Amino acid sequence: MLSFIKNIFKQDDHSSRRQANDRLRVVLAHDRAGTSSELMETIQEEIIQVIAKHMDIAGKPEVNFIREGRHSALDISIPIKGR
Amino acid sequence: MEKNQSKGEAIVVTSGKGGVGKTTTVANLSTSLAEMGYKVAVMDLDIGLKKLDLILGLENRVIYDIVQVIEGECTLKQALVKDKRFPGLSMLPAAQTRNKDDITPEQVQQVCESLKEEFDYVFLDCPAGIEQGFKNAIAAADKAIVVTNPEISAVRDADRIIGMLESAQYNDINLLVNRVQNDMVKSGNMMSIEDLTEHLCINLLGIVPEDKNVLISTNKGEPIILNQRSQAAQAFNNIAHRISGEDVPFLQLEDVSFWSKLRGLGRSFLPTR
Repeated sequence: MLSFIKNIFKQDDHSSRRQANDRLRVVLAHDRAGTSSELMETIQEEIIQVIAKHMDIAGKPEVNFIREGRHSALDISIPIKGR
Repeated sequence: MEKNQSKGEAIVVTSGKGGVGKTTTVANLSTSLAEMGYKVAVMDLDIGLKKLDLILGLENRVIYDIVQVIEGECTLKQALVKDKRFPGLSMLPAAQTRNKDDITPEQVQQVCESLKEEFDYVFLDCPAGIEQGFKNAIAAADKAIVVTNPEISAVRDADRIIGMLESAQYNDINLLVNRVQNDMVKSGNMMSIEDLTEHLCINLLGIVPEDKNVLISTNKGEPIILNQRSQAAQAFNNIAHRISGEDVPFLQLEDVSFWSKLRGLGRSFLPTR
């Protein structure tokens, strides 16, 4: 949460420090979970297929890593079409 | 100086990536603690690529090495090189013509346990990488210092190392950030200490600024803590005091011009650490 707020304030900042931090965040999340971005895409596609079997999906689902300390979690967001 | 329990503490200094300052850290923390009056042993575990003897300026006094101790060619006592400048400091050299597979984690553990009987602190200088040499080094220690630089690949390697230390049941893992350039952090071109602790999520033990004096000391074979004008020396001395259990505030890294002024001022009335 804190890093989210920080990110908002840092938005205009295109410094190399910012780029290093952004790249590290992604790389460390994948390193820790032992995954790659291709695997993320596979997981995303498979989850969408399962959901799509039963519900109508609206828009693009997203799969992201969230970090809590040294632990990572998968954050999956799938917009569902309303009636 | 109340560290006289039955057994000393073994500290592994590791990093994953090479060239971040592991050996420099070991040399300076050990000399600093020895100067404070503790009995300190350093084990160079970079077998085949030894450096610690050179950094400490003890390369001409090496007779035996750790592999010979393990293989029974000499006693541990014979192999230990005493530093004449710091009576409390002894170094167990690495073997230059052997390799890391010639010793096992169990053997390192045995040597380390014997050293802990006699010394207050035993530093294990871990080789770069995550192979056999790393496994040998982490088998024996009670706590770990992970050295990194504010540089993206060094931080990634540090993260990997921290994960491996956690898997090896370490619960006392500390971060030492070396070669920080505060002017670059300020101009947005270097990750800050806060950035690094946010990425790595472990206890911050110390911050060492980039300092040309480190190379100069290395050239001479003198540990930098002897150089009272050096910011890095002050940082290493602070860290040594923290290791001994003192609560020392972190250095506020400022621009060099400010620093040189402060140093001149500081020496006149501040106690030197």
